[in-house]
Amino acid sequence: MSILKEMFFLFRTVGRPSLFCLLCCYQGAVVADGTAIDKVYHPYVQPQEREIEFRSIVENNSDASSGDERIYRLGYGQSFTDRWFGEVYLIGAKNDDRGFRLEAYELEALWQVTEQGEFFADWGMLFELEKEHSEEVFELATALLVEREWRRWTGTANVYGIYEFGEDIDNEFETAMALQGRYRYVRQFEPAVELYLGQDTKGLGPVVMGSLPLGGARQIRWEGGVIFGLDSSTPDQTFRILLEYEF
Amino acid sequence: MFSRTKKIYFQAVLVVVCSTSVNTVHADKPVIEIEIRDHLFWPSEVTVPANTKVKLLVYNKDPTSEEFESYELNREKVIMGNRKAVIFIGPLLPGVYPFFGEFNPDTAQGKVIVE
Repeated sequence: MSILKEMFFLFRTVGRPSLFCLLCCYQGAVVADGTAIDKVYHPYVQPQEREIEFRSIVENNSDASSGDERIYRLGYGQSFTDRWFGEVYLIGAKNDDRGFRLEAYELEALWQVTEQGEFFADWGMLFELEKEHSEEVFELATALLVEREWRRWTGTANVYGIYEFGEDIDNEFETAMALQGRYRYVRQFEPAVELYLGQDTKGLGPVVMGSLPLGGARQIRWEGGVIFGLDSSTPDQTFRILLEYEF
Repeated sequence: MFSRTKKIYFQAVLVVVCSTSVNTVHADKPVIEIEIRDHLFWPSEVTVPANTKVKLLVYNKDPTSEEFESYELNREKVIMGNRKAVIFIGPLLPGVYPFFGEFNPDTAQGKVIVE
């Protein structure tokens, strides 16, 4: 019962004006090519942090003739200061028609704007530049990262502005959003609910995550979940996993 | 529609940056200082008022890095050697909230007592 009460408190408080302001951004969403389901970023950076990250999504779409689409990301990241973290990714993909192929490269920078707990919410920004491997297609994205805690609950919002450009694509501006409500049950196991919104994506589903300390600065973080499509353009289910080794 | 979306997005970014700057000017919270020396927290127990946001100033006097870690406080912060870090905690309900040094967990132990 206490969890239900806290849940009610969480969603009642989320209606604060600043988060409403962010939600307004989504109203003008144009086209978001591909899926917006990936992961939810948190606006925090630790100095001297390094990590190797693997994450994957599998789209199970009964309407797709090419079967399940699988996307893989392998990344290496490290912090440069106590406020900036950078990461580079190789992105691969495969489906029933095409075997595994290198799809794109991505550079990412995360900026922790405020100290955790200093204001009513914690703020950060994410900057991404992605280049398709075999096409002259670029994607430049910025995202506002917002997180707030309510006792054992935390709510996180990522609001993206995305600009696609290049010789092989019509230049366009898009928006997307990811929301996460997480219950900090124990360090190794934290249940969450995630909502993803984009022009071609409307998905909602349960996720579990946790971390396992290995001593010193080393730890393993993991996430896994399934996001159910809420409209016909979103895959029926999107399974996502993340494994991260921090050292 | 294209330009309207961009405009709304960048206006939201501006609102966030401005509101954060204004809050910085008016920040006024109780401050508690903690030192890390010889892989120990000094003091190892601090008492803070309930339902109040508190600013912890943690000075790492050791030459090596330490990580202030507390799942109960939902905080983890690496503090490099001979540097300081600011950690905001609360508002908290009355109780005891343990913290420790992730890099020296056997010795660096402490607790925040909220009353």
